[in-house]
Amino acid sequence: MKARSHINKVFLGPPLLVLAILALVPTIAAIVISFQNKELGRRGTSFVGFDNYINLFSDRRFSNAMKVSLQWEAITVIGTMVVAILIAILLFETTKGRTRTVISTLLIVPVLLPRVTAAFVWKFMFNPLLGVINYPIKKLTGAPIEFLSKIETALVSVAVVDIWQWGLFFAVILLKLLETLPREPFEAARIDRARTWEIYTYVAIPMLAAPLISLTFVKMVESLRSFDLIYVMTRGGPGVVTETLDMYAFSQGFVESGRISYASAMAVLMLVATIITFTVIFKWVRKWQTA
Amino acid sequence: MGAQMANRLTFGRVLSRIALACVVIIAVFPVLWTFLNSFKQVVDIVTPTPKLFFTPTLENFAYVFERPSVRLGLTNSGIVVFSAVVIGALFGIPAAYALAHMKTRMGDEIKFFVLSLRFLPPVAVAIPLMSIYLDLGLYDTRLSLTMTYVLLTLSTIIWLSIPAFERVPTNIEEAARLDGYGPYAIFFLVALPVAGPSLFGAIIFSFILVWNEFLIALMLTTSEAKTLPIVASEFTLLGRNVPWGILNASVIVLSIPPLIFLGVLSGFLNRMFKK
Repeated sequence: MKARSHINKVFLGPPLLVLAILALVPTIAAIVISFQNKELGRRGTSFVGFDNYINLFSDRRFSNAMKVSLQWEAITVIGTMVVAILIAILLFETTKGRTRTVISTLLIVPVLLPRVTAAFVWKFMFNPLLGVINYPIKKLTGAPIEFLSKIETALVSVAVVDIWQWGLFFAVILLKLLETLPREPFEAARIDRARTWEIYTYVAIPMLAAPLISLTFVKMVESLRSFDLIYVMTRGGPGVVTETLDMYAFSQGFVESGRISYASAMAVLMLVATIITFTVIFKWVRKWQTA
Repeated sequence: MGAQMANRLTFGRVLSRIALACVVIIAVFPVLWTFLNSFKQVVDIVTPTPKLFFTPTLENFAYVFERPSVRLGLTNSGIVVFSAVVIGALFGIPAAYALAHMKTRMGDEIKFFVLSLRFLPPVAVAIPLMSIYLDLGLYDTRLSLTMTYVLLTLSTIIWLSIPAFERVPTNIEEAARLDGYGPYAIFFLVALPVAGPSLFGAIIFSFILVWNEFLIALMLTTSEAKTLPIVASEFTLLGRNVPWGILNASVIVLSIPPLIFLGVLSGFLNRMFKK
């Protein structure tokens, strides 16, 4: 037993120390910088108290970015889960054996792609002049739809790419989970002449409630990483319609003005919001699943 | 009645076959289309009707590989990603082994700490680090980018390797202990080989994660340490008179490393979700 605790210390000590340093240093630095007036390419900084935070609350572009981020979370999380469930059921009902293995492998191709690639591939397909998506639209209506530069379609069009990557991936995971379910409840429901959709709504999905909730949680966390798609596809435009919080923080801290302190204040608020939200949800999920 | 049933069934079957075909096409077509376009000359891309048949050219790839920026990006990505993954694995796999055997509240808290690192928005990490690295003179170096990526690889490898070690049957380890193996011998000679394939999957997963990483690299590098995704994104943001074939070729080059491991990851998923 002594040996056991010795090996634990040796194996856990260094990695935890590394992680703690790598995570705490930027976090503490973000907090410190957010109380200063630091700017890129300007010497001399002083502490300004809560000025940056107070300014944020009257910044219309910040509240817009919050709204866009929440919209993004809602669209991509719900879209991914709905697509994943439908495709998993389709695959479970219509395929078996080798066909199923081959299709499953193909469906995880999108999620492996670098986001830069995924973003470009779709940006090119959405292109009003050359895009394959607009080709049939032009044939039918005579005019292309500028998906990425119209206010109504821009955010949804970018979200399509995210759902393309994650929805298909989650469909494969759900398919594997469906395969692990016992056969009896399905057969009992079939004998009772339940329709296919009834079997899934009342039997299979409730049996998979716990992993479905975990997957939803994972997607909520991963949806925070929207930056690469938006950066390549719309750069936050048209106007600020697709400007999420990370996009706005990036442009404030880096490109437009180099206002590192202002961007840090935003980063700190995001940090606090995500850590609190996800910790609460995670603990709630775990309690619910073990109960 | 019976015939009607059969009819409905076949009709439903046909419909579901069509739906299935659509799903596969949606998954694969965008990638295949980009792949085709990367072998086209611009005249074959800028056509009113999309072209399926054309005379392929390797010019786009030749151009991409001749660019100094692409070569530098490849070198940087290679060095940074490889180092971060190796460091992550060296530290992370033993940590996961220890955590897999810790059935205490302390163990749960540590696992949650490791998981919660994924809750950090990347921009919230990158902004302060940019300022710190600028002050230290480490901005735009492979060293600083590698250190930052270790945060990603280490936490991912720990998190994904815990279940791999938990699936090692306890009686094997127990038998080794009765044979007089010490705890380190059990780890190196028993647990590591048994969990090997799953651990490899976890390492590959973390490789893809950092190979594809964009935001942190964008904020922490400007020229010297730029990685391949940044270089590719600069191609894709070119303005008018876009060399479309070259763009398609550049994103294909960027995507080859993750796609090479498609088989490994598919096997990893199978093991993760087998009862």
